[in-house]
Formats: sequence, structure tokens, C-alpha cells
Amino acid sequence: MSNYRWRDSPDTIARLVNADKIQTMSSQQVLLKPNEACALIVDGRVGDILTETLLKSMAGGFTRWLGDKVGVTANDRRLLFAMTGPMDYWIPFEGQIANGEAVKGFANLRLRMNLEDVPKLLNYFANNDPTLTREGLIGIIATEVRARVVTPCLASCSNAADLRSAMFLERFEMTAESEMRNLLSNLGFTMLKAFPITNPTDMEKVAEHRAKVQAQMEGNEVNVEAQLAHFSQTEALTLARIEVETNVARAKARGQVTVELESELKELRAQEAKWDSEINYERNKMEIRVDEADAKTKRAMDMFAQVQAKKADRIANQQNFQQQRMDSQNDFQQKMMEMAAENGALTPEVMQEMLRQQTAQKAVDVGRTGGVNSSAKVCSCGTVLQPTWKACPNCGSPIV
Amino acid sequence: MVGTPIDVIPYIRGVQLVLIGYNGYTKGSRIENDKIVREEIVRATSRVRNHMENIFDIQFREGNISLARAAKRCMEECDYLVEDVNKAASGMEHAFLSGQHSPSNKDLKKLIKHDHEVIEMITKAVNIANSSEHSMATEDGNSKQLVMQTTQMITSCRGFFGARMNILSGLKSKKKRK
Repeated sequence: MSNYRWRDSPDTIARLVNADKIQTMSSQQVLLKPNEACALIVDGRVGDILTETLLKSMAGGFTRWLGDKVGVTANDRRLLFAMTGPMDYWIPFEGQIANGEAVKGFANLRLRMNLEDVPKLLNYFANNDPTLTREGLIGIIATEVRARVVTPCLASCSNAADLRSAMFLERFEMTAESEMRNLLSNLGFTMLKAFPITNPTDMEKVAEHRAKVQAQMEGNEVNVEAQLAHFSQTEALTLARIEVETNVARAKARGQVTVELESELKELRAQEAKWDSEINYERNKMEIRVDEADAKTKRAMDMFAQVQAKKADRIANQQNFQQQRMDSQNDFQQKMMEMAAENGALTPEVMQEMLRQQTAQKAVDVGRTGGVNSSAKVCSCGTVLQPTWKACPNCGSPIV
Repeated sequence: MVGTPIDVIPYIRGVQLVLIGYNGYTKGSRIENDKIVREEIVRATSRVRNHMENIFDIQFREGNISLARAAKRCMEECDYLVEDVNKAASGMEHAFLSGQHSPSNKDLKKLIKHDHEVIEMITKAVNIANSSEHSMATEDGNSKQLVMQTTQMITSCRGFFGARMNILSGLKSKKKRK
């Protein structure tokens, strides 16, 4: 017993095997996995459809050869193997959307075959090779997919953005489900899923390029901004460092200057103290001298005041004397006049003589007083000096 | 040898009304019985899908996308269920050599009851799908509700079928003897 392999490529979907053509010494057996099925077509009738089993003595072997010779087996035995699991089929298409943009892409159809639908593949094998591959199935359904599904769906898109919308995908799937059922059902397939994959259109490429350029420009802008920010940071950092260094240097210099100024201040204060002491000394000295001068002046003034008082007394005495004398003279003259009048001797000549003597007397009196004044000396400071003084009471200078 | 439990015979009879050849997992026919049950589920699911295809086609062509979308969703759910069932584990023939735990009486009871319930459920889904198509034809306004109810029922079947696999796939491994 040897194992028969009906599928030698992943692209093989189904195969119709004429069991009578398998002439081997050992009988053949085939293992059917859960996603594989085998429909037995015996003498033109569809027999059992098997899956998940080991199909023993399906062909070949001595006993079957003997049975054929004797005529106890079926005249025609065919085995239709098929994959029942879901498989993807990519159908290329080209089309146009409503605004005239060309669209290229692939329509993906995910198909499955039900167990009871396996014999329907006879519709295919009636006119085609006994092996159905993925390319073979695509060749059959592609035209109808393009005509019934792709073209109407693309025509409903006004621009490339509509191609990317979820509504388009849903419409595509629903259209495929509805429009492709007839053909797929005839072939025994059930459609599980359908969706389109479209390449970028020309306008989308332009938009993509524009977006890339824009992104690059914005990236450059961001880089420039970052660089500028870096420079400004560096600048701020450098300025801050310089400022700190300057502040440190200034502080150091200020410290030195302060020290120098403090030493200078100390010197100045010492000098100031020295000058203060000198000034005080001079001031005290001057005050002493001024006090001395004041004392001299005071003493001189006191002496002057005594002299003036004595002078005033003397002048008063002189004036009293003169007044007394004038009074006595006036009395005398009055008496003389009265006597002359009583005696009848009062003539104008007598009157004239009397006035002349009175005038002369007055001139003598004035001359007596004026003679004292003319003999008085005057100091260099302008003070009138008395003949008895030995020094000027005002300036203290001696009188020679 | 584990015989068929008597208290599950009514369930077996119920399943046999639908599946000819079903004998309640008697010795030597367990895999065949499993296969029969699975094929029945697939067949019933295909019926549901066919109803939904009709609803979908008509509603899509009429522009009633909302109902068409619901029907498409139900079809996809049917596809998922079919794929689950087709690729489900079916247990092993030679439990002793494989290291699997041989199903006990209790396991078989659970399995038979489960088969009965799954088939009931999928049959109910077929009925609802049929009703939804009928509702669409009579335009009584319940189509969408029924379509969505069918989807819900198919989804429940998927989940319920998973429990069946837990029994058959030999998840209970043999206890190791110390």
C-alpha cells in the first residue's frame, strides 16, 4: 500500500483524477485532512464526499486490476480532490474613478468550498485541465470581478480619497458578495471576504510628494528653530558666564579698592585728625590772641570811656562856666542897659558898642574852646588822641 | 466497556429524528457519530447562510444597506461557525495508546445531551432565519430584528459548540499512577 499525493503545490486547488489510469502494483491510499475533500464519481454518478479519513485502496493494486479484468468493478471511477479551507485569490485590475484618475490595484477574494459543493467543480473540469490552480481560478473569475465589481465601485468614487474610505471597502465587499455569487456558486465556492487594494494614484503620488516636501520643509524649520534655540541658549549661557566672571572680578576689584580706600581713608582720617588738631591749636591760639586783643580793646575802651567821661565833665564844667559867665554878662549888660536907659544915656552908639563887645566876647569864648581842639593829635587808625595819652586806645599803637 | 446510558436514550432518539445513523457514540462508532453531528451543524448553518444571502441580495440591490449589513454580518458569523465546526477536534480512536482518557459514562451522557441541545439550537436558528426572510417578504417590519436574532443564535452556537469540543478533544488527560 503506497500513499497517493494529489496535491504537489500550494497553488493547486482541486484535481480530477481518473482512478483507472493509476496502474500500480501496490494499491494506493490517500489521506484526506480536514481541509481536503474527495468526491467519488463512479460510473458518472456522484458518490460519497469524503474528508478527514484515510481512503484505502483508492486505485492500483493487483486485486483491483483483477476485478477490472473480471468485470466486477465500475467501468469509470474518478476521484475529485479539492481544498475546502479558505484561500485568498488576488485579482489584478485597472480602472478609472469618476474624475478620470487611473487606478491600479488588486481585488482580494477569500473563497471557501463547502463539502457538498465539491462535485460542482465538475463544471470547471468539463472544459479545462484536470488540475485547478489558483491562476486557473483567477483566470475564470477575474473578468467578471472587474466587470461586475471593480468598475462599478470605482465609478462611484469621485476622487482618490474615496478609495480609502471604509464606505468604499464595504460597498466593494457587498457588491462582490452579491454580484459574484452566481459564478462562484456554479464553481462550488463560497465567498467569505472581499476587499480591494489600490496602488496610489498619480494625484495621490503628487499629494504624497507635496506632503513629503512639506514635511521636509517643516523638519528643516524645526531644525533651524532648534539650532537657533541652541545658539540663543549658548549665547545666554556665555553671557551669564561672562557676567558671573565680571561680577567675580568686579567683586575682587571692589574688594581691593575697598581695602585701598579703607587704607586711604585711614590715612585721610589721620591727616584730618592732624589737621583738626592743628586747626584747634590755631583756633585756640587765635582765640587766645583775640581774647587778648579783646581784653586790650576793652581796657582801652574802658580807659577811653573814662577819658571821655572826664572830657564830658570838663566840657560840661566849661559849658557851665561859660553859661554862668554868659548869664552874668547878660545880666550885667541888661543892668547896664537899664541904667543907661534910666539915665538917658542909651544911645545907638552905646548899643552898637555893647553889641560889638558882646560879639568880641563870644569870639573869645569860641576861640578858647576851638584852640583846644586844634592842638589835638590824630592816630593812624583815625582816633583823636588826647595830649595826655601815651598809646592809642583803639589800636594800641604807642603815641610818640 | 462503557455502554450507552439508559437515561440519555430519549436524547438519542431526538437526535436520530434529525440524523440517521446516530447511535449515541457506541463503541467503534464514536468518530462517525461525531462526524455526523458536525456535518449536520454545517448543513444547518448553510441553510441559515442561504437565507441570509437571499436577504442580503435583495436588500443590497434595493439600497437598504442597514439590513444588508446585518445580513452580511450574520453570513460572516455562519462562516465562522462552519470553520469552527470543520476544524474541530473529534477525539481519538485509540485512547489507550494515545494517552487520552477514555470517555466515561458521565462524559457520554454529557456529550449526547450536548449534541441534542446544539442541534436544537441550530435548528432554532434556521427557523429564525426562515422567519426573517418571510418577514422581509411580507414587509412586517421585523426583518432586521430577526436577522440580528439569528446572528445572536449562531454566535451562541459557536460558543456552545466549544463546550462539546472540551469533551471530545481529550482535554482530560489520563491520571498518572504513582
